Amino acid sequence: MAEEEPKSRSVEHPADPVVEEVVPDAPAISSGIDSVADPESIAIEEAVERPEPMATIRLEKKHPLAIRWMHWVNFPVLFTMIWSGLLIYWNDSDNAYQHPHAVYRVGVGSVTLVRFFPPWFWKAINAPYRVTEGLGYHFFFMWLFAINGLLYVSYLLWSGEWRLMVPDRKSITEAIQVTLVDLHLRKGLPAQKKYNGAQKIAYTLVVLMGAGSLATGLAIYKPTQVHWVTTLLGGYEMARWEHFLLTMGFCGFFVVHVGQVVLAGWNNFRAMVSGYEIKRVDAALIEPSIEAERRTL
Amino acid sequence: MTDEETVAALDEQVKRASGKRTRRSFLAAVVAAAGGYGFYRWIDRSPGDQMIPRPLRKGLNVDEAMTRGVFGERGMTPTYPVARAEELRVNGVYGLKQELIPESWRLQLVGVAGAKQLPQYVDDVTAWEYRYAAKKDEKDSGNHDTKVAPQGEASDTGVKMSPAFEAAFAELKKTQGKKRPRGQEEAGESNDTLDAGTPGLLLKMEDVTRFPRQELVTQFKCIEGWSQIVHWGGVRLADLLAAYPPEKRADGSLPKYVYMETPDGDYYCGYDLKACMHAQSLLVTEMMGRPLGQWHGAPLRLHMPIKYGYKQIKRIGLIAYTDMRPDDYWTKLGYDWYAGL
Repeated sequence: MAEEEPKSRSVEHPADPVVEEVVPDAPAISSGIDSVADPESIAIEEAVERPEPMATIRLEKKHPLAIRWMHWVNFPVLFTMIWSGLLIYWNDSDNAYQHPHAVYRVGVGSVTLVRFFPPWFWKAINAPYRVTEGLGYHFFFMWLFAINGLLYVSYLLWSGEWRLMVPDRKSITEAIQVTLVDLHLRKGLPAQKKYNGAQKIAYTLVVLMGAGSLATGLAIYKPTQVHWVTTLLGGYEMARWEHFLLTMGFCGFFVVHVGQVVLAGWNNFRAMVSGYEIKRVDAALIEPSIEAERRTL
Repeated sequence: MTDEETVAALDEQVKRASGKRTRRSFLAAVVAAAGGYGFYRWIDRSPGDQMIPRPLRKGLNVDEAMTRGVFGERGMTPTYPVARAEELRVNGVYGLKQELIPESWRLQLVGVAGAKQLPQYVDDVTAWEYRYAAKKDEKDSGNHDTKVAPQGEASDTGVKMSPAFEAAFAELKKTQGKKRPRGQEEAGESNDTLDAGTPGLLLKMEDVTRFPRQELVTQFKCIEGWSQIVHWGGVRLADLLAAYPPEKRADGSLPKYVYMETPDGDYYCGYDLKACMHAQSLLVTEMMGRPLGQWHGAPLRLHMPIKYGYKQIKRIGLIAYTDMRPDDYWTKLGYDWYAGL
């Protein structure tokens, strides 16, 4: 790890080693991958013209403070929503009472393939007879989830960060390439800015899923007052199923997301906390690959 | 210093700057995480307010205030073709465990304006004696499912309660012997049950059914998560309340709440007067085209599609106007009082 250093703070740094990354709303970003070439060539020219030695690494701003806060606030809040949701859901899946729930199942017609969840699961998460607690938490933390989500989307729009996140036409191809690299079926990642195509698709989708959870949640919460929302979503039971499916989607996202963070390594994870990433100065010259990502400390 | 050493020193500076930032931000992260956990602990350890931590109860009340502010009680529940209706499942038999003799049923109405001038007036509505069919020998059929109608005669079947409650309840029953006090279920006796000597009206069924007959096909929604489309028949609660309006308070305003109870006082619900005046709030005498069965609350139950099922009280024995927010069976056990859909 990079920063295990003697704590000699008396040393005055001759120059600020922190290099601010291009501001997100600067037009260069929006032009996407093509613009990567420019800073490269400048770097090469400088290296040729100035013979003095340069640091091989630099600090680069990656995630703005607001995004880091909202990302981490969302984690326990969404966790609480899912946990309290399960406490509520137990009440309708108590197979001991011969009325297994009709909504949360996978099946065709009258044939049920899977019913969520088996009794051992409920026992393991200590869900039985805690429905009122679940309702209390769910209808408390829903505000935190909604407010945090709205702030997040507003910030993306206001700061222009959305341009780095919303997928474009190339994203699907890129996402396939990235997936192939992850599966060791291909070498060499496609060039990227802040996020690769797979990330763009996943992160945008998960924000939309959050919005979906709010919409389906509202349709279940006030099916009379906003019956038009409930009807649009296919009715009350359908909205419940959609709400549940989205929750499963969050769980799936979580597994892949955490797996990818582990693979991407410390430097990447640290950036989500501190905001900065250590980059090789010549990073742009190296063919992008998972190995190169890891080498950047 | 060679070039290589200079480069190493420069790299070192970058790493040191990174380390400083990292330490600072991780410290902030730890403090924030501790704060978040503390917040959870504060909620979780707060003293209870009707069976849930006080902050959660406050939260439910804030939700209620916001719902009222945004929607009021204006929304109308969608209705469906009769063909989509199905038999409603029996889910909880509180207040129904003894079989009521239909002829002995009266509707106690308390707080009505000018009640004394009406022929149904009595000095003490609580003196009315509801009669119940004699119990047959109690045999435990082994069926403890409250989600289906108990088999045979009314028997005290098990209820869907925590095992700890079941044990305590069995103990209580043993000690009570033959006496049957009011509020013999988990939530206990209502705080709003009438004191002896409360004057009011005693209505017969024909006093209720004289209002225009209504039919509704709506979805019944249980807070447990299931829902069923049911065909209801009866009269509008609003029609009854309009015919027997509440007595005005000293300042000329109307009481804000309505309280209802089963004849044995075991189950009880509180409502806003406004919710009771909703056009779809129905006093039900028929379900699925047939007279209401015992286990669905014969002879009179409530269907209020703007509320969850636990507010749709079966076998109504008392309707009272009141100024204070009335006690509510499931609210006492941790559920939301408002329960608005």
